[in-house]
Amino acid sequence: MAYRPSKRSQKGEENVHTDITPMMNLMVVLIPLLLTSAEFVKLGVIEINLPPARSGPVQGAIENMPQEENLRLDLAVTITSRGFYISSSLAVLRGDKGEPIELKEGQYDYARLSQTLYDIKQKAEGKFPDLHQIIIMANMTDNIDYQTVVSTMDAARTIRVNGETVELFPEVSLSAGVM
Amino acid sequence: MAYIPSHKKRHKTTPKEARLQLTSMMDMFTIILVFLLKTYSTQGQLINPSQDLTLPTSAVQNPVELGLDVTVSGDWILVNDKPVEQTANLETLDGFIIPRLQEEVMKYAREAEKMQVKYGAAFSGKVTIQGDKNLPYRDLIKVMATCGQSNYPNMRLIVYTEEG
Repeated sequence: MAYRPSKRSQKGEENVHTDITPMMNLMVVLIPLLLTSAEFVKLGVIEINLPPARSGPVQGAIENMPQEENLRLDLAVTITSRGFYISSSLAVLRGDKGEPIELKEGQYDYARLSQTLYDIKQKAEGKFPDLHQIIIMANMTDNIDYQTVVSTMDAARTIRVNGETVELFPEVSLSAGVM
Repeated sequence: MAYIPSHKKRHKTTPKEARLQLTSMMDMFTIILVFLLKTYSTQGQLINPSQDLTLPTSAVQNPVELGLDVTVSGDWILVNDKPVEQTANLETLDGFIIPRLQEEVMKYAREAEKMQVKYGAAFSGKVTIQGDKNLPYRDLIKVMATCGQSNYPNMRLIVYTEEG
């Protein structure tokens, strides 16, 4: 049977392609560049600044100078295998024993430590000049590892209250404690 | 005019220009590009974490600073990648100062002070400490005490930053 091809097919809708080759070239260059400068593990630092070491005579001179009476809080957290102990110079002077923040299910209870420090900060607000400093020490014989110390510093640095981050004691010093 | 299509020529198509279908590849590249731009850091990796230790994780967001690099891995204490003392020896050490570490760190301190005198490059006394997360506190304290006594009082503990 005779049949005529359709006229429409003759028009042939040519597919119009955008030439994306230059774009591809750009991508091929950009992706290796960004890959090399991408950081997949983010590193951070915890700053611990010691007071600069002074030699004997200078130190003596400073000690002999009359000093202004300053009431210092000297807040300290001691990490032991039983949990955290919080102490301050005042508590020591008064002879308070203080209850430890005990381990919870074998783990250190950082949330409670933060909460307790937050309460202390609220109570002591404005009374002490060193209310941003905290001393962290660990019992030398208890095998406290580095991660625990760092997590304790985190717990002592900030706390999240009602969705807001509140600064607690960001200036951390480490103390050797008792050998 | 009667037109009879040829059965032989039926599948004979004129050779068209071959084209790659690149659209899906472009989609993929766009996603990768956005992801990489997100993880882009302008300063690059200032510190390469050592291979044989796992740093502790922390919530701090402070950016990394450069300083003298002291690494305490499971086996060795390294100063700028040079091993100076075996970590196991810390257990039997008397007091807090590690003599060989102090000697090495002091060398760098003297060098830096010389630079300060000669070229005016300020000596910051910064030392970055990389320690394994299982490092006992008593060993960490000894390393820190030694650095502090060797004219490097500004310590930076390197940690992994938690996301979020």
